[in-house]
Amino acid sequence: MSEFKSGSFIGGETCEGRVLVVDDEPDIRKVVKMTLQKAGYEVLEAENGEKAIEVINSGENRLLLDVVICDIRMPKINGAEAVAYFRNNYPHVPLIVLTGFPDTDMATSFLRQGVVDYLVKPVEGEKLRAAVARAMEQRELARL
Amino acid sequence: MERTGHTKVAIVGAGHGGHALLDLLHRVPSIEIVGIADRNPAAPGLQRARELRIPIIAEVPDLIGNHGASLIMDVTDDPEMETYLHAHRPPTTDILNGSSSRLVWELVQHEFKLEAELLQSEKLAGIGSFAAGIAHDINNPLQLILGLAENLAEERNLTAVHEQANEIIEAVKRTSAICRDLTRYSRRASPHEDVLVPVNGKLDEALRIARYASSFHDIEMIKQYQPSAAVTGNPDELLHVFVNLITNAVHAMEQAGGRLTIETSVLNGQVGVRISDTGCGIAPDKIPEIFEPFFTTKSPGKGTGLGLYNVKTIVDKMHGVIAVDSQIEKGTTFILTFPKGEPTGQEGLS
Repeated sequence: MSEFKSGSFIGGETCEGRVLVVDDEPDIRKVVKMTLQKAGYEVLEAENGEKAIEVINSGENRLLLDVVICDIRMPKINGAEAVAYFRNNYPHVPLIVLTGFPDTDMATSFLRQGVVDYLVKPVEGEKLRAAVARAMEQRELARL
Repeated sequence: MERTGHTKVAIVGAGHGGHALLDLLHRVPSIEIVGIADRNPAAPGLQRARELRIPIIAEVPDLIGNHGASLIMDVTDDPEMETYLHAHRPPTTDILNGSSSRLVWELVQHEFKLEAELLQSEKLAGIGSFAAGIAHDINNPLQLILGLAENLAEERNLTAVHEQANEIIEAVKRTSAICRDLTRYSRRASPHEDVLVPVNGKLDEALRIARYASSFHDIEMIKQYQPSAAVTGNPDELLHVFVNLITNAVHAMEQAGGRLTIETSVLNGQVGVRISDTGCGIAPDKIPEIFEPFFTTKSPGKGTGLGLYNVKTIVDKMHGVIAVDSQIEKGTTFILTFPKGEPTGQEGLS
């Protein structure tokens, strides 16, 4: 199924993969996008869990979305609910939690649900890119 | 002596001692203050008595002889008055004066100190629940600052450099405002700091703080402010009242979201503040208990049960009235009414 790797669908430019950033703060979406675009990722945005579910269910994203980075404290469908939704409906899409509130219990519960990484803001660009790269590896394995 | 379960107290002397006694005793249901007297018509306790609708009796003989007092509390500290009262008291009436009166005065002061301690500890207990909100509001701008700074290290476009540097400056300002709000809120209310407080500004400050304690995500906010609303009181304590009521309102809507309405009004020399939610409501049989100390519907560890008790204490102290109107599953409205504050030359720094 390697033909579904998104990189091969984006003509011309090098695309490392397609990442969805879910955060209610436009500032956060902006810097995360900035950080990941530099590493060659295509970045989509959603401002809450509800929008994120819309994005993943729309058109080619169903197949081409590689990684989701999700905040927890958000309006509408919050991060925890969104994570549960993604795990149930798109178990092959790796998830990274990026939260402003470090909470060990919550981190454990997310990791148990199969979340790839639990990152606490502020996170350095290098660390974030490393987490996304790890998530991409998982995504590749899921495609085999 | 009448043994009706009520102590009928006559207060002689309306200086600071008499004033403090009124403030304390009028809140005790089993005590009835039958009147207060002072030679000085400008005594502070007489003004307080008028506000509390306690009879002011012009002459001491009238006060001690004709109003059914079972106890005379003499807080004049005047030896002549002591002699006079002992000679003229009705046979069934007890007298508290001299060193016993001073003892009561010390106990009253102690009580006020405890009250302030209680307020402070409830406030600090509440701040624990702010941790998630504070972390969110500090770490988000930090993420922006870090991301921009990393980018700036490599950015070659000078316009972009200027823009991003300005964004960093703004983000730092937002973050430091959080610390300013919180340190102001957590400090101990300075005693006897009654000043003119603009109500709308205090409500907005309380809203900023309440956001740390509870999630406003699915809450529609409606503000209807009367611009001139101002009351006399302690700004820190009034802030505490508003934070408490707003936090309760938002917690009541935690499950399904809803509408938070905050209104201020000025009418007939009175300032009104209404804080309404469309949340779960309070059961009718619980309403009489909500202002009691240690009453809480929250799970253990979530609430101290002192929130509304302290709110009521502060509102009483400001000569105000607090009322509640609630319907299960429809929502709750708290209505506060204060005497309109008049400029004293000492503006409240909000």
